[in-house]
Amino acid sequence: MGLVQFLIKRVIAILITIIIVLAVAFTLMHVAPGSFFSSANISAQMGALALQSPILYQKYLKMFEARYGLNQPLMEQIVQYVWHSLTFNFGTSFENPSVPIITQLKTAFPISASLAVGSTILSIIIGIPLGVMAALKRNTWIDSLLTTVSVMGQAIPSFVSAVILVLVFGVWFPGLLPVNGWGTPENAVLPIIALSLGNIGVVTRYMRGSLIEGMRQEYIRTAQAKGVRYWSIVWKHGIRNSLTALVTVIGPTFAFTVVNTVWVENIFSIPGLGTLMASAFPSDDIPLAVTSVFILSLMVMGMNLLVDLTYGLMDPRIQLK
Amino acid sequence: MALTIGEVSTQKVLRRLQSNMAWRRFRRNKLAVVGLGWVIVFVIIGIIGPYIAPHNYATTNFLAANQPPSWNYPFGTDNVGHDMYSEVIWSVQNALEIAFGATLVSFIIGMALGLWAGLRGGVADMVIMRLVDFMYSFPTYFLDLILVTKLGRSMGPILLAIGITGWAGYARLVRSLVLSMRHGDMVEAARSLGASPAHIARRYLLPNAMNNMVVALAFGIPGDLTVMAGLSVVGMGLRPPLPSFGNMIAQAGSNILGYPWLMYIPAGIFAITLLSFLFVADGLQDALNPKGGY
Amino acid sequence: MDEPLLEVRDLFTQFQRVDDVVYAVNGMNFSVAPGEVLGIVGESGSGKSVSVLSFLGLLRDNVKLKSGTAKFRGTDLLRLGRRQLEDIRGRDIGVVFQDPMTSLNPVRRVGDQIMEGMITHHYASKKVALQRTIDLLGEVGIPEPQMRYRNYPFEFSGGMRQRVMIAMAIACEPQLLIADEPTTALDVTVQMQILALLQTLREKRNMSIIMITHDFGVATNFCDRIIVMYAGMVMESAPLAEFLNNSVHPYTIGLKSSIIEVGNKNKELVPIPGMAPVLTKPLNHCPYVSRCSVAQDRCEQELPELLHVGNEHYVACHRIEEVGIHAK
Repeated sequence: MGLVQFLIKRVIAILITIIIVLAVAFTLMHVAPGSFFSSANISAQMGALALQSPILYQKYLKMFEARYGLNQPLMEQIVQYVWHSLTFNFGTSFENPSVPIITQLKTAFPISASLAVGSTILSIIIGIPLGVMAALKRNTWIDSLLTTVSVMGQAIPSFVSAVILVLVFGVWFPGLLPVNGWGTPENAVLPIIALSLGNIGVVTRYMRGSLIEGMRQEYIRTAQAKGVRYWSIVWKHGIRNSLTALVTVIGPTFAFTVVNTVWVENIFSIPGLGTLMASAFPSDDIPLAVTSVFILSLMVMGMNLLVDLTYGLMDPRIQLK
Repeated sequence: MALTIGEVSTQKVLRRLQSNMAWRRFRRNKLAVVGLGWVIVFVIIGIIGPYIAPHNYATTNFLAANQPPSWNYPFGTDNVGHDMYSEVIWSVQNALEIAFGATLVSFIIGMALGLWAGLRGGVADMVIMRLVDFMYSFPTYFLDLILVTKLGRSMGPILLAIGITGWAGYARLVRSLVLSMRHGDMVEAARSLGASPAHIARRYLLPNAMNNMVVALAFGIPGDLTVMAGLSVVGMGLRPPLPSFGNMIAQAGSNILGYPWLMYIPAGIFAITLLSFLFVADGLQDALNPKGGY
Repeated sequence: MDEPLLEVRDLFTQFQRVDDVVYAVNGMNFSVAPGEVLGIVGESGSGKSVSVLSFLGLLRDNVKLKSGTAKFRGTDLLRLGRRQLEDIRGRDIGVVFQDPMTSLNPVRRVGDQIMEGMITHHYASKKVALQRTIDLLGEVGIPEPQMRYRNYPFEFSGGMRQRVMIAMAIACEPQLLIADEPTTALDVTVQMQILALLQTLREKRNMSIIMITHDFGVATNFCDRIIVMYAGMVMESAPLAEFLNNSVHPYTIGLKSSIIEVGNKNKELVPIPGMAPVLTKPLNHCPYVSRCSVAQDRCEQELPELLHVGNEHYVACHRIEEVGIHAK
């Protein structure tokens, strides 16, 4: 089947994409006006220093620039940065120089990954039966209800559902479930709900559409002509075919879920990559900002690869290439 | 001559019938109609907002901070005494400007690249489609964050950042429309009957393509509204005191325990607005493109 | 003559469309004797497939069977529940559909799809069913069946897929095989092979076949008896020889004159003017009247009945005497 070749090809493609992303991100963050040294906190301190002792200021500036490689030509900086990132050697952040970024990632990444993957799995588990129900009961009130609720889930962004959940469990029914922090299993409940509402909507709607379409196919009639029982047809020829197609929407949905994770973490004060990002971007902490973008994009691409692999294995017509 | 006139008027009648049909299909979708009502109200508020808002968005009044909704402050006030009612009204304008503007920018870029790829084919097509794949392979929201960091956090830059990262879908759509125009069965059939390319384009292709694009744009606007607010969630949205739904929601998250009205009013209005846009888009899909989509 | 295997009486079927109702089958009568091959011929939209698929419960939700009886070995299929009908479908009545490209599930192995029916009907254990699947594939002319049963439909050509469909339909040794335009989607040479295969299978198993086709050539080469349908009604029905020599209905004659015969260069092609109607009202006159060259006032006022004119030959036409004499 050429599985290994397929994998090699895809990994190379991902590498190229990631190199471009890193280079573009790094260049953008560096070239344009406004850098780490203009961030409010640092520039105040450095500004004071510049007035007090211009020589010391210049010396510190040089030292900082040398530490972060800022004194080299841009091209070299980019190449070096990309290489360091690809080898997971992210250096230290501007704001928090005593802790290497990789240490921060080691705690933050598992949190974000478990939120994103957990909510994806939950959405699939809940969305599939709902979609099947809507499809088999189509044009009844059950269908309209499920479809409308799915659209609502899709339309309302996770950060809005998250604040609503905070309102419900923080203000109206305090103490039932924790509305911020991380550490216990209960901490994961509300964030995963907020993340999953939209995804359940996506899976439900997709499953509904694809099963309705699938049950219209002529091979369904062939199965009926063989005398196969109704539920057996729904399962073997309807749902199983739709599941294969469902795999293809998991990829794009997951990209969206990762972005939502960033938002939800901030609302629930969860120390994941999203929260790191929210501290890095506003303070122009370039290494940390670009690194979190890099890691999250890598997660999305990894999932896409997994999805393509699964699809290739599930649908015999697809030759992996 | 008479025949031509007759033909033109028949076409007009047909066109009118089609749009009537579309309107009828749209009206059958009750949620879409309700959504359209809200969208219209929203747009009107966006236009006349500055004239009806009782306070300027930047006006603070520390004597009246953290007040619950009252006659004077229908939506309450926040911790520096902003009138939330005025904030919401100004936010509507900002939201509309950025969402419509960004969608338009995305659409223009997407259409240009899609047309180029579809019409020229060859290397141009390959390069552009690679670029589209690239844009699809990771969340463009991250690119928005980086761009906003560099361009700044005011109206123009945010509009531009969201606009220039959101074109991939439109490019893909326009390209596929161009290709289906060039090779579709209907075109082949019309051509074999001796219809001129211009006639084919006017009569069959443009209406069909327009419908598809209108639906895509309608889905684009709520998407861009969400991204815009999402920037605020990580502190990279419109720089306060510029008001936006994202800022209100993100800030409310932190002081929700004491002053919940700061959260549920803006969040509620924002959610209803997104829903309305999406219902309208859904309704347009049913009305204009009954077979397509899922 | 034997007791008929299948006897259909006064069958009415209707489609519900968004704004109106289509009267697809309007009082259909026919029967099939054991071992007989019945051909149902008609233009597309004449209701020939609908009439047969309706009493098997194989039509879409918007199609409603209104009335009639369809007795299969004495049991009225129209009075059976879904479950009982499922027991008969695939077990006693097999069906082959028109388009083998879309009639097979693309993501399941053909072997599994053939076995499915046998296992559903407890016709054979899994192990026996597998062996039988391989035998069947060989029987319908697929080379290397012990390898091929593991393949997916897309790995077969159109003709091969139709052979798979046939294997599937005859897996449980049904007494009746319904072939709904089985050769229409295939190349001409492949059509011949499929027809030959059906012929062989039928002789070997003494099974009855209903062959639904719009192709006169297929019908006259393959069938013992031919029914001509128009607007959901039987226009004419006769045994093959009688049909070839003495068909009298103006529609049948029209059809015959509009067909190209191989090797007959002198034959003048006469198309039938107009189009087959889509009925949105119940019929109260001869449906063919607007295209008929010998129509009279009566044809516009009364529905013709299917009358026996001798030699098992039935015709539904008000002008039967005049036309019949003219034809002879």
